[in-house]
Amino acid sequence: MTSLPLLQNALSVGAILFVLGLVGILTRRNLIVMFLSAELMLQGVSVSLVAWSRFHGDWGGQVLVIFILTVAACEAAIALVFVLQAFARTGRLDAAAWQSLRESSLARVVDQQLPSIDTLPPVWPTLSPAGVLPQADENETLQREHV
Amino acid sequence: MNPALFSPGLLLASAVTLTALGLWLLLPRGSENRSAWWLGWLLGAVALAGFVCAGKRLGGIGEEAVFLTVSLVAIVSGTATIVSRSPVYSAIWFALSLAGVAGVLLVLGAQFLGVATIVVYAGAILVMFLFVLMLAQPSGLASYDRVSSEPLLSAVTGAVLLGLLTLSIGRLSVGPATPEPLALASAASDSPATSSHAAAIDSLVKNHVARLGGELFGRHLLAVEAAGVLLLVALIGSIAIVSRGEPDVVDHSLDLQPLTATKQSQGGRR
Repeated sequence: MTSLPLLQNALSVGAILFVLGLVGILTRRNLIVMFLSAELMLQGVSVSLVAWSRFHGDWGGQVLVIFILTVAACEAAIALVFVLQAFARTGRLDAAAWQSLRESSLARVVDQQLPSIDTLPPVWPTLSPAGVLPQADENETLQREHV
Repeated sequence: MNPALFSPGLLLASAVTLTALGLWLLLPRGSENRSAWWLGWLLGAVALAGFVCAGKRLGGIGEEAVFLTVSLVAIVSGTATIVSRSPVYSAIWFALSLAGVAGVLLVLGAQFLGVATIVVYAGAILVMFLFVLMLAQPSGLASYDRVSSEPLLSAVTGAVLLGLLTLSIGRLSVGPATPEPLALASAASDSPATSSHAAAIDSLVKNHVARLGGELFGRHLLAVEAAGVLLLVALIGSIAIVSRGEPDVVDHSLDLQPLTATKQSQGGRR
């Protein structure tokens, strides 16, 4: 019977995904990357539940994963609204921008001066010219400023 | 299946150490160092090979190859999700990781969930993340994306947790507490005595979606209603938060006339 090795391997994959999401949510400071890490943890739990469902031969695990999908959609909608509100107030997606809410015993996060990275200008793909150049309309540039 | 020169405990310990080191090297720490980046990926790959060696083999070579491929896609792109400096790259790597997870679910026989993961996560939730990134991402690489808080402690914590989980998963076979699956259920039900574990698994695969729907709308009908109410509440709640919580930031780029002035002018015209 191949079901026990399959269960163990699938549980290992679930554990690795869960741990990766845990490390991500502990270390990263971008709010959106933190939420992606939380979704990664949910994926690990889903894989484990489906593996147990397969091992026991019943539907409980798969039904639970369907509800995980539902709750994850709700959570993402509400959380992204909060992230957008936080960005509108501070102008950054930084979790440390809200560190005045931390406990009084915790140390303050101080950003050290980062070395500047030499960023090359991006290489965009070039397209061969085709067709005729459209006529320039002087009203068009005026309208484009308001888009 | 283990190599003869490694005892299983030593193999697991070295894999955990390499996982911690690789994650620490990969996480953003302020200074960009390409050699540390490649060394981190190399150590992570060696640790993953250690975990693969420590695991049990599946039955056939084809099943083994398919499972290894999809789980490698899921794990490697999951790692790239949490170590990418740019959040847009993180989101796109997360989409690839979802594809790998969907493959694992398909191998496990959950066909509906594999497709639903792609449709709901990659199609809806991830696109929502990308929309928010487009709305809120400042141009260029932000300083808070190039540093991370406590990378060493977090990497060690994650690796130790992974080692403990792997240890307990590996003990599943040895322990005498592993019950015969469905032994109680098949004894209790009135089904014929031929219904064994293999038959139960076959019943998960045959007529999959119809039977999953029957289970969902039969035994779990109340939970389905509750989930529907939850979705409605989340919809209304997010709209209410957006429309009520107007921030005190005035956008001066659009030089619009103040609303009161237009109202007064309209009133004067009437």
